[in-house]
Amino acid sequence: MIIGTFGPHYENKEAFEMSVIEINNLTKYYGKARGIKDVSFNVEEGEIFGFIGPNGAGKSTTIRTLLSLIYPSSGSAKIFGKDCINEGQEIRQHIGYLPSEVFYYDNMKVIDLLKYSASFYPNVNKKRIFELAEIMDLDLNKKIDDLSYGNKKKVGIVQGLLHSPKLIILDEPTSGLDPLMQQKFFDLIHEENKKGATILFSSHILSEVQKLCTRVGIIKEGKIVKVEDINTLKSANYKKFKIEMKEAVSTDYFDFAGINDLTVEETTVSFIYSGDINKIIEKVYERKINNLIVEEPTLEEIFMHYYQKEA
Amino acid sequence: MNIYIQELKMSVSSAIYWTIGMLSTMLLFMLMFPAISTDAVIMQQIVSKFPPEFTKALGLTTLDLSVVTGFYGFLFMYILLIGSVFAMKSGISVLSEEVRAKTADFLVAKPVTRTAIVTAKLMSVLTNILSQNIIYIIGAFIVANLVADHSFDQGIFLLINISLLFVQLFFVAFGLFLSVVIKKIKTVLPIALGTVFGFFVLQMLNQSLADAKLAYITPFAYYDVSQIIETSGYDLGYLAVNWILIIVFTSLTYFIFNKKDMPSV
Repeated sequence: MIIGTFGPHYENKEAFEMSVIEINNLTKYYGKARGIKDVSFNVEEGEIFGFIGPNGAGKSTTIRTLLSLIYPSSGSAKIFGKDCINEGQEIRQHIGYLPSEVFYYDNMKVIDLLKYSASFYPNVNKKRIFELAEIMDLDLNKKIDDLSYGNKKKVGIVQGLLHSPKLIILDEPTSGLDPLMQQKFFDLIHEENKKGATILFSSHILSEVQKLCTRVGIIKEGKIVKVEDINTLKSANYKKFKIEMKEAVSTDYFDFAGINDLTVEETTVSFIYSGDINKIIEKVYERKINNLIVEEPTLEEIFMHYYQKEA
Repeated sequence: MNIYIQELKMSVSSAIYWTIGMLSTMLLFMLMFPAISTDAVIMQQIVSKFPPEFTKALGLTTLDLSVVTGFYGFLFMYILLIGSVFAMKSGISVLSEEVRAKTADFLVAKPVTRTAIVTAKLMSVLTNILSQNIIYIIGAFIVANLVADHSFDQGIFLLINISLLFVQLFFVAFGLFLSVVIKKIKTVLPIALGTVFGFFVLQMLNQSLADAKLAYITPFAYYDVSQIIETSGYDLGYLAVNWILIIVFTSLTYFIFNKKDMPSV
């Protein structure tokens, strides 16, 4: 096996011989309630894969299946080419996992919890605990039940990284962290990635995925809507228009193919457009306008469009 | 090994408190023994005035309170009760505490098998229970020998006491089984108390009705002290049932816990 020998650059993906995560038609029902349905995607070695979708879409269900915390109703998943269920113990040697909600044994001190966590992995460099705690500004001698939510999250981060895992799975990692800490955390993740770690990063906040990830999988209502390169996604020619007309126009004036999220309020028209920009210019030219703003839409707005389109 | 040690660290203080509880209950009763044994005739008269169902239910008809093993047999019922609640509580909580404290995502995501988790946790409970038994039995021997006015059969006394361990093991196994079957356990002690007292009431009914079939469904009936005194041994039928149940419930625990989805928070 050649884990860790490739650089983190996703551009080289053709060179990869094996996906770190392979998910095939993974389906999970909780009784009759839908968890996820026919989820399939791969995460390649060395990439930072963003897993994005609204709350309740099935992100945690997918992640918890990968860790065999729960068992799939059908379908399968492989990590490092090994089956998640049958070879789960071996696989988990090389995974660092940060759950979306962090809870630890209350009566323990932070350092004891981290040492306990380290005791599950062979050859953990104990220095790494102190390094990570230093970076994340975490007081190791406090009792866990005295910690704030954000500080518990830091314990989770250190706990997930202390054994230098080859695959880091982060489920909504930034909630509870202040912006400064988020930045430190992102730097840390980047560093781990440079050292060769593959990262699966789940989030419902698009800007952070935008900052960090090379590819994204979009999940909605338990199904994968799209897996796309983050650059393709950003470079898709979406433009956000805000036009103030001289006189009020009817709603259907701008209602044609390529227009999304159209709102018309008297003289103010706004929409997201992808297509030939001249069509808009023609339309605008026919009527006189007071003001015209053309912006890059945020990923959030592009995703909203995805969600609506696929619904 | 790390899970085992972690478990012990978290449970040792509770085990100590319960052991102290058992020792002091035993001591309190035994201190009354000299008084009761000297007035044994009066005691028997008082007891005989109670309704027979009542005395049977308490096990007073078959035990001779004027000798130390008989008197100990009477109080031992209450030691069994305390020990069983502790065993049941330990059995129920040891696996479910991960779910209750929401730490299952931490532990199960580590490179350990579910089987290894159950084994480590079961071993920690067994360590507590065994140490508790050893300490308690030593205490019981010391106290019994101090208050006894005549010498008594130490072998029989040991047999009576060892039945505590067997009954506790039943409740550990039963507690483990319940903990993997019940969806969400919010508090442990009410379930432990309820179950143990349920079995205790069955035992009182059993003693009162003397129904051989009823006796099989409550572990409190498996080791009848008056029978142990009489035969210097256990009833092998009940002993077998006891161990079969321990093995069945423990195996089911392994099986179900391996297949179970860890509830998300």
